[in-house]
Amino acid sequence: MSNESFRRDLNRALEGMSGPPSPALSARVRSALSQAPPARTAPFWIAGLAAALIAAIVIGVFAVANFNRHLTSGVPGTLPSASPGVTATPAQTPPDSSLPAFVCGSSAPINSQNGPVVAFIDAVRTGTHTGYDRITIEFQNGQPGSIELRTQGTSMFVQGASGQSVTLMGNSGLLVVIHGADEHTAYSGATDFKTNYAMLLEARQTEDFEGTVQWGLGLSKSACYRAFFLTNPTRLVIDIQAG
Amino acid sequence: MTAVMEERPSAMARAAAGDADAFALLVEPLLDPAFRLAMVMLSDRTAAEDAVQEGSIKAWRNLRRLRGDASSLRPWFLSIVANECRMTRRRHWWSVVKMADVQRGAGADPTTKVESDLHRALHRLSPEERLPLVLHFYLDLPLDEVARTLGVSQSAAKSRIYRAARRLRSDLTLDEVF
Repeated sequence: MSNESFRRDLNRALEGMSGPPSPALSARVRSALSQAPPARTAPFWIAGLAAALIAAIVIGVFAVANFNRHLTSGVPGTLPSASPGVTATPAQTPPDSSLPAFVCGSSAPINSQNGPVVAFIDAVRTGTHTGYDRITIEFQNGQPGSIELRTQGTSMFVQGASGQSVTLMGNSGLLVVIHGADEHTAYSGATDFKTNYAMLLEARQTEDFEGTVQWGLGLSKSACYRAFFLTNPTRLVIDIQAG
Repeated sequence: MTAVMEERPSAMARAAAGDADAFALLVEPLLDPAFRLAMVMLSDRTAAEDAVQEGSIKAWRNLRRLRGDASSLRPWFLSIVANECRMTRRRHWWSVVKMADVQRGAGADPTTKVESDLHRALHRLSPEERLPLVLHFYLDLPLDEVARTLGVSQSAAKSRIYRAARRLRSDLTLDEVF
């Protein structure tokens, strides 16, 4: 085999392993960048000072949370139940083909028996894939007490703490209710993602109060979804089916 | 092409000043090679796209660490995406799942014996061994960019490429690879 034919065959083999990216990748990255905090340009000493302050605050919050944990142990319901749309998944997660099926109505709550009293959300991401749009909510210290997903015919949501209504982009909605969680201890990212994907147009935090976190998802139209947990790190994954 | 090249320095300056759109403009042409690199390392489209997205965000947040001009962006960005792929693979569940996928893919495509042998040999390499091959042969990067992406010297990069290529075809000489 000559040098040229080796190169050609190798490139062909690599092309077989790869192929081109999805046409949506560019829009997805652009959307993610627009939601990400800007490049950090502060001098190092400011970053160091900020890190020290944040560390002090986090230690303080953890101390308070630990104190509250003793006071409120047993508050979240922990009855084990299964729902067709929400499935706890072990660490050895099977490949995409064995993810749960899409469901089209509201799901019954799924409760966690072994999770922390308060699961700290530390990241929220959105993405679009072939056949579905995805939102991922990541937890720092384990699975929250319970999760509910409620479909609705409009994209209007009531904000938990204030009672005021907010209308997201789209014509339909999906409300994600997470009990036994908070999103202000370990999370400092965006609380409103205007994604402009085909199905998931906007995701917005509508409540983060007294151990309950809610996210409203504005959808372009009524859609089926699937929800499941992945571990390492623990994260709730919600896929909105396209089409 | 000239217009694009002339636009880059100003986009770089705007990106460095915090303009996300300018940064998106800069990374746009790099998404395709980054995805191909991620696919060869991860063998999963969804995970590869996730790695490119996460890599883009990390690059954006750390843009001030980039040394050099716009020409340094490609190897720097690809190295971030490669790191993102490594982090993905380190997750325990991932290594369990992907092993099966790689083996299933190995027998699927080849149409000739040579391609089949090459394909199988390629799949036997670890992702870390495939990385220099992707950069040098598939993405056709110059050696200095391969070295910067791998975070090693040019001679070390040359050595890694040659060593990986020899695992595909043992009779290759240095001249045939470079």
